[in-house]
Amino acid sequence: MKAEAVNKPAAVKLRLTKKLKRSNNNNLAGYIFISPWLLGFLLLTVWPIIQSFYLSFTEYSLLEAPTWTGTQNYVNIFKNDTDFTTSLKVTFIFVLFSVPLKLFFSLMVAMMLNKNLKGMNLYRTAIYFPSLIGGSVAVAALWRNMFSLNGYFNQVLAWFGIEGVGWITNPDTSLGTLILLNTWQFGSTMVIFLAGLKQIPNELYESASVDGASKIRKFFHITLPMLSPVMFFNLVLGIIGSFQMFTAASIITQGGPINSTYMYALFLYDKAFKHYQMGYASALAWILLVIVALITAINFLVSRYWVFYETDGGKQK
Amino acid sequence: MKQSILKGLTLLTLAATLALTACGNSGGNNGESNAANSGGKADPNAPVKLKIMWQGPDTRHQAMLKTQEVYTKLNPSVTFSPEYMAWDDYWKKLPTLAASHSLPDVLHMDGAYIQEFATRGTLEDLSDIDLTGVIDDKTLENLKIDGKLYGIPISRNAQGIAFNKEALAAAGIELPKKDWTWDEYFDFARNARAKLPEGVYPIGDSTTWDHYLYYQMSYGKGPIIQEDGKKFNLDKELFMKFYGIYAEFREKKIVPPADMGSAFKDNDPQADPMASGKVMTRGATVGSVGALTQLMPGKVGIVNMPVGPEGGGWAQPTIFLSVSTDAKHKDAAKAFIKWFVTEKEAGQTYGMNFGIPIYDDIYAALEPNLEEKDKLGKELYDVAKDKAMPFSPAAAGWTEWIDNYKKTMDAVMFGQKSLEDAYNEITKSGNAIAEKQSSK
Repeated sequence: MKAEAVNKPAAVKLRLTKKLKRSNNNNLAGYIFISPWLLGFLLLTVWPIIQSFYLSFTEYSLLEAPTWTGTQNYVNIFKNDTDFTTSLKVTFIFVLFSVPLKLFFSLMVAMMLNKNLKGMNLYRTAIYFPSLIGGSVAVAALWRNMFSLNGYFNQVLAWFGIEGVGWITNPDTSLGTLILLNTWQFGSTMVIFLAGLKQIPNELYESASVDGASKIRKFFHITLPMLSPVMFFNLVLGIIGSFQMFTAASIITQGGPINSTYMYALFLYDKAFKHYQMGYASALAWILLVIVALITAINFLVSRYWVFYETDGGKQK
Repeated sequence: MKQSILKGLTLLTLAATLALTACGNSGGNNGESNAANSGGKADPNAPVKLKIMWQGPDTRHQAMLKTQEVYTKLNPSVTFSPEYMAWDDYWKKLPTLAASHSLPDVLHMDGAYIQEFATRGTLEDLSDIDLTGVIDDKTLENLKIDGKLYGIPISRNAQGIAFNKEALAAAGIELPKKDWTWDEYFDFARNARAKLPEGVYPIGDSTTWDHYLYYQMSYGKGPIIQEDGKKFNLDKELFMKFYGIYAEFREKKIVPPADMGSAFKDNDPQADPMASGKVMTRGATVGSVGALTQLMPGKVGIVNMPVGPEGGGWAQPTIFLSVSTDAKHKDAAKAFIKWFVTEKEAGQTYGMNFGIPIYDDIYAALEPNLEEKDKLGKELYDVAKDKAMPFSPAAAGWTEWIDNYKKTMDAVMFGQKSLEDAYNEITKSGNAIAEKQSSK
């Protein structure tokens, strides 16, 4: 009996170490499997981020080694740089208009595609198809041709006797054209909405119908609340994506005319690769990071009041 | 359950996206590492692969590739690893290569950028390449930066103005003549307005710094950027007068409306100001006028830049081949460049694709077989050289100011800024950069 009592903990210990070893082996295999991604993440993302933080305190022309200047870059950005305020303003306007528009538009399309019609899969594919090439350079180049002074858009207007303007070369209309382009690239947002719509149980609509609810009422009292987590997801991503808007601004308008489409990311790029001020550009990148992080944090705080999670037992958080 | 997965997904995607905001612009390394450099002093017959980069239109790319083939045929141990692109992309790519110390062995340099790269230690001094009898010493001496030769000039270039001789003649307008003055240039525009149909404009608008620079220099007020970028010199009287004339021209529709002017793109079949038929004249250089001629064969005439008391425009080499300090095969690179500028066989292959070859013997061999587009380049050079002033590129560190100049003058063009304000802003930022450069 005594011997048994002594042995028991030893046996448990043995079993435990075996189990630990096995689980360690399992972990190792797991890490090996994700190592390509992990290495890429560490070397191509984390390391450059650390470096850019260091560089933001230096003057670095790319052609010479960086020299330490302390907080000079940040001071210059906030005190002397009118391009900084201009580009920030342009970017905020862009985000303010393009995000809600895109959400609204993609939700409408998603609801249309959620109907049970014959050949719906074909429609879905056809409508989603342009998004496969959505944010690409080719689309931006196409857009440039469509909205230039002699572009297709003005040619169509001419049929109706309307004389168009140079949509992308006129400071009054250029930003609007880019917002339109961003709205048109609704594909991925729409697909997420569509998936969300499919998750809403039909019973809810059925019982609402029994109670005599109208279509509009159903939309506001069933669809929207049930869709709010998806809406939140799209909203947060949309805001972050819009703050980083670059391709279209760079290709279609190069930030012009007269800075009317000078997006923050484009300004940052110009500083780094055109004006040879990588240190300054790094500081700009960190400022953008802080701005986006702040806005996202606010978003998460506010989300308590309007995002509805079924798992919370129907309670508002 | 699904919602909580979604919540998790939101957070994860968010984390990744936040991370990406900052990583888009990571620098290269910190300039500590240095590419291995043997200087190519080993066995001269050991196989060498030269990395080479240049910019330009497609015809130039093809000619350049053929020239390398010829060289490899003559020197089987030397092969090439070429990379080529258009102007804009080229100047954006070079700094990133410089930052990672991976500039090619041989690279194409331009007068507008060579200072930026040379003064920052990315180019080799090539003074030891013997070019006696090929390029005269005075030309080489003029091209030196701080007493060193950072690029071997490969061609002669010049700035002038191309015009649509066919359309001008059809409208009964007298064609521009060699050594026309600025007053004659502006009168030409006013006069042509009366005779041209609506929607067609005599001259283009002007918002870039170089166009005004020609004006200021031809009236003897000197370059805008002086003393290697340490001195800023913008003459207020001339500035106000010059842009005052353009303000008048905008009102009288002598220049195209602002939104049309911003849409022009040189050498694009539809968007080129001249090829599209919208404007009768535009700037052209020896090296670029050929491309315009191909778009509108038989219609292009050329004249030099308008002149003032001091002269007008420039005519000198602006295209160089350089060797980078990162080069792994410096001697082989130098040998190739020397062959490129001195051997007729090389010149026969690349022809007029870089302008007029700098070595007169090469040009003499090409001359009997020139096509129309090439002849026009030569013609432009000959017209421009009499009254040419020195080429005055921006100094290192001034690209930002050049961008600002255009943006400010664009705002004036669109009627959103007064000329006085524009002058003050441009002067303020110019002085700030000059001060910064002086303190270095």
